[in-house]
Amino acid sequence: MIEIKNVSKWFGDFRVLENVSETIEKGQVVVICGPSGAGKSMLCKCLNGLEPFQEGDIVVDGISLADPSTDLIKLRQKMGMVFQRFELYPHMKILENITIAPIKVKKMSQADAEKKAFELLERVGIPEQAKKYPGNLSGGQQQRVAIARALAMEPEIMLFDEPTSALDPEMIKEVLDVMINLAKSGMTMVVVTHEMGFAREVADEIIFMEKGSIVERGTDVSFFKNPKSERTKEFLDKILLV
Amino acid sequence: MGTFDWKVIYDNFPFLMKGLLTTVELAIIGITGGLLLGIIVGMARLSSKKIIYYPATLFVNFFRSLPLLLVIFWFYFLVPLLAGRPMGDFFSASVAFIVFEASYFAEIIRAGIQSISKEQMQAAYSTGFTYGQAMRYIILPQALRNMVPSLLTQSVVVFQDTSLAYVIGVREFLRSASIVDAREMRSLELYAFIGVIYFVICYTMSKMSKRLEAKRGMAK
Ligand SMILES: Nc1ncnc2c1ncn2[C@@H]1O[C@H](COP(=O)(O)OP(=O)(O)OP(=O)(O)O)[C@@H](O)[C@H]1O
Ligand SMILES: [Mg+2]
Repeated sequence: MIEIKNVSKWFGDFRVLENVSETIEKGQVVVICGPSGAGKSMLCKCLNGLEPFQEGDIVVDGISLADPSTDLIKLRQKMGMVFQRFELYPHMKILENITIAPIKVKKMSQADAEKKAFELLERVGIPEQAKKYPGNLSGGQQQRVAIARALAMEPEIMLFDEPTSALDPEMIKEVLDVMINLAKSGMTMVVVTHEMGFAREVADEIIFMEKGSIVERGTDVSFFKNPKSERTKEFLDKILLV
Repeated sequence: MGTFDWKVIYDNFPFLMKGLLTTVELAIIGITGGLLLGIIVGMARLSSKKIIYYPATLFVNFFRSLPLLLVIFWFYFLVPLLAGRPMGDFFSASVAFIVFEASYFAEIIRAGIQSISKEQMQAAYSTGFTYGQAMRYIILPQALRNMVPSLLTQSVVVFQDTSLAYVIGVREFLRSASIVDAREMRSLELYAFIGVIYFVICYTMSKMSKRLEAKRGMAK
């Protein structure tokens, strides 16, 4: 479904991604972890064409992102994205946050879009918040709305960039639960996170990134008990303990 | 001249109000036209494409470096040339105001758009929006809301600027007073009267923008 082939990206002389390769099958959940500045966010943004890359290629469903004639707008409709800081639209009510893209992009009728939005809000557990503004919701609720907003476009792939790292500890679980349900329903997911409990439960593959490249990969958390490099071991010890 | 005689205002009230109406019309045209053109130019100023960025930047720097009076004169002579026929002084003045004020509105718009985080744009893109849709539905509504006080302040300036249309013969508020004055020789009363009206309108507008600013400050 997604094939990342030797992708490299520079900012001037600084290399943020270095020969990243990875294959993600339909229905798979891939967890990406690694220290700050490793290029995890950059990889996510490259995946749905928010950031260009200079070398290599990413092929989604047979569509090449390196090909300049590719319609990125169309491609992004296949992928939903959830951001660390939610990025809900503060000037719109929750319901509008979810319906605006289906109405404007998919030309769905307002009634259909709202019906769908309520279903999704039900699914993420907050149907009663539909008429409020994002600023009046807790972080955990906002992030669940962000997930509903992404799902409203019926994407085939969901990208999550540290969806719980801006949340208070007591709200992390409510968001992870939604994500776990999504994973179990067969969604293809790429998740940047350090929540190893989540990884243990649903990840098909876990990738460890450092300085722009993938330095370790494995199919479950136990793999990380024997990492190749000392640096990786140190980092993993830290996140696995907590 | 003797004592004050306010009868001159009373006698010429409909004529003076017609002048005020022209002033208001010019201001509305300058504000809405300048704002619309300013939005386009302000967005262009943020483009990563050089052929869009450079002309917009040149436009802004050029008109912001010229006196408005000169620009009004230019368009007074230029517009009939471009149109190939006389278009009237009101039309020429309107074009001059739209173009000139757009260069000021553009900078307000640019700053407003830059005040919205880059990730809002990325969020909009990630749901399949085009650049135009993301701007229209997500970025501009937020940016404009942040900019309301500055836009109101600039609108007060535009309102005052319209009096410069006097020089090319537009019968706006100031000119209609001077026409009456030429006939009735009542300068003090006439200019005091229009001064009060200008003051009331502009002062009300700036008070409104102050109040909005205070409200926004509290909301934060
Ligand atoms: N516009 C930019 N110009 C130059 N360098 C950038 C730019 N954006 C990001 N970088 C650099 O790219 C590197 C990778 O950034 P990225 O945000 O992908 O890291 P990350 O793994 O997501 O880290 P974090 O855990 O802090 O989110 C960082 O070193 C960052 O400083
Ligand atoms: Mg990041």
